Amino acid sequence: MNKHIESITQAVQAKFSVVAVTPVRDDQAALDVKPGELHAVLSFVKAQGFRQLSMLTCVDWIQDGEFQLVYLLFDWDKGVRLQVRTRIDRKHPTFTTVTNIYPGVQYYERDVHEFFGVEFEGNEMSFKQLFLENWDDIPPMRKDFNSKAYSDKKFPVREYHKDFSKEGDGK
Amino acid sequence: MSETMDMIVEKDKKLKEGWEGISRFFRANSLWMLMYCTGCCAIELPQAMTSRYDMERLGMGPMATPRQADVLLVTGYLSVKTLRRVIYAYEQMSTPKYLVAFGPCPINGGIYYDAYAVINRLDQYLPVDVYIAGCMPKPEAVMNGFQDLIDGIKNKTADGWKRYRDNYEWYKKNQVESLGELRIKDEFHE
Repeated sequence: MNKHIESITQAVQAKFSVVAVTPVRDDQAALDVKPGELHAVLSFVKAQGFRQLSMLTCVDWIQDGEFQLVYLLFDWDKGVRLQVRTRIDRKHPTFTTVTNIYPGVQYYERDVHEFFGVEFEGNEMSFKQLFLENWDDIPPMRKDFNSKAYSDKKFPVREYHKDFSKEGDGK
Repeated sequence: MSETMDMIVEKDKKLKEGWEGISRFFRANSLWMLMYCTGCCAIELPQAMTSRYDMERLGMGPMATPRQADVLLVTGYLSVKTLRRVIYAYEQMSTPKYLVAFGPCPINGGIYYDAYAVINRLDQYLPVDVYIAGCMPKPEAVMNGFQDLIDGIKNKTADGWKRYRDNYEWYKKNQVESLGELRIKDEFHE
């Protein structure tokens, strides 16, 4: 971790009860924070120069019964990146929106809602469909979603009367 | 009297066949294509169109809108969302219209055979006149496929638009089964 990243992680650690700090690269670190503190941490680091939210994504930790929300931030002046991560319950995945801090998160919250089913309170737009149209199953990026079974059920498969894989160079 | 009537009908039929033959000749030699660049196969079209392979020596050229185009090129995998728009585009085209599918994805799903958002067989939803094999097909294969299409138009085997008209109910049933509702409802159509 370079000096800019070290100074920001130390500043966050001094102010908030950070669960863990993981160095990712020389110019990038990951901060695990509690769900209740995430908004305060984001406001704080935004004031420290992380003006851009590059992306929000979600990780499905199915064995822990948790979803992990990952906020990727970027500081244009110092050229350093920061991940702010938090874990929420998988059974009732609701979280409060951060559109009041980073308005650009709008579409990422829609994306996470569509593919993981996480609901963002305070962001009505996030309940609208984004990529999938007329989706009729559990959110497809969850680990317990069976893509092959859905594809076979929904889209007809071409039947082959002869197994061509046994011929030619492949045999 | 009845003999003359039969003669007129016979003459009419011959005349119609003659005209159709002439139309087919002109259609086959002047094809305007609408490129629906759905997937990666679209990257092979610039080479096929420009000076190296020069598609225009077959009399083919790009066209801007579906209503003016003769050939719809589906270049690569089709997601459910894209298929809705492709059906819109295909139905807007005026007959006679032809559909060329690129790569293995419209044939059997290709590498997206297990994807939740990508269809497996295009011929369930729209009639395909020519398949071009290869992942992605090289420009030689693309040119060969277009030559096959031209031959098909000349000898009446490229009749997908007639099949679509005759089996319209069957195609619609398949479309509804896989897509649910066919109407597009997105932010631009609200």
